[in-house]
Amino acid sequence: MAAKIQTLSLTDRIGARTVAGLMALVIGSILVFGVGLANSQALHDAAHDTRHSYGFPCH
Amino acid sequence: MIVRLLLAALAAGLIAGMAMTPAQYVKIVPLILQAETYEGGGHDHGAAEAVSSTTAAGSETPEVTATAGQDHDANDHTHDEGDESMLGLGRLGDTVLANLVAGAGFALMLAAVALIAGIEFPAGRDGLMRGLLLGAGAWFCVQLAPSFGLPPAVPGFPHADLADRQGWWMVTVGASALGLWLVALRPEWVARALGLVLIAAPHVWGAPVPDDISSDVPAYLASAYAAASLATTLFFWLLLGGLLGHFLSRVPAEQRA
Repeated sequence: MAAKIQTLSLTDRIGARTVAGLMALVIGSILVFGVGLANSQALHDAAHDTRHSYGFPCH
Repeated sequence: MIVRLLLAALAAGLIAGMAMTPAQYVKIVPLILQAETYEGGGHDHGAAEAVSSTTAAGSETPEVTATAGQDHDANDHTHDEGDESMLGLGRLGDTVLANLVAGAGFALMLAAVALIAGIEFPAGRDGLMRGLLLGAGAWFCVQLAPSFGLPPAVPGFPHADLADRQGWWMVTVGASALGLWLVALRPEWVARALGLVLIAAPHVWGAPVPDDISSDVPAYLASAYAAASLATTLFFWLLLGGLLGHFLSRVPAEQRA
């Protein structure tokens, strides 16, 4: 019983770490793209100083 | 818990993003405002004089920039008037918001790299040190490596096609990150050599360069800006990495599942 729980939580753990990592990667990429790279004029104007200060290609 | 990992990353990102705004107002934003007076060839000497007082006080070292991240410097609010904002928050409000979103986004991506690469954060000082190293690595990939080809540019800087630069920037950040992972975390020397090749490749290929590099923006402003941008983002990434390492180390081991 105890051994079974141990095995389950180990596989669970490797899987969940990767799942959390992939979720963070997708959400983070969307946020960074919106702030730094998206071509929308409104987003560009709002994030202008931030884009310049992080060295994103701008203008 | 997946949610706890994401929340830990988000908290680190929001704190670092919040600290970024005052850090930017130490030197970066005054230089941007000064450069904007030259943008498009129009020399507005009145505005240039108005910001010269802020740059006179802006010649601090990176260490000073880092510590000044805590104090909310109010003397730049006078430059906010007359800027249209899509959210009605004004220029400062927009920048605060954009910095929070950028901080959260970079934090989630940094946490993603740590989780997928299998970097563990032990409790206490070790977790903090690993976080700082991770932040320094991210600074190299996202700031230093792209800046070799596309130096941080003030408004009015000569520039090549935007899409070309953005493409080169994304490829360089990705290749540098993959290369750094191979060099730092893979034991095989073939992998390390491949990592070095990956880091160098975008620079051998070459960044898009404008045909005409003459500019109305004074060279002094541009070089001061490049140094200020690298220093300020180093502060951001070290703060973010340290916070991330600390927060992730506090997600209990059984909850990291």
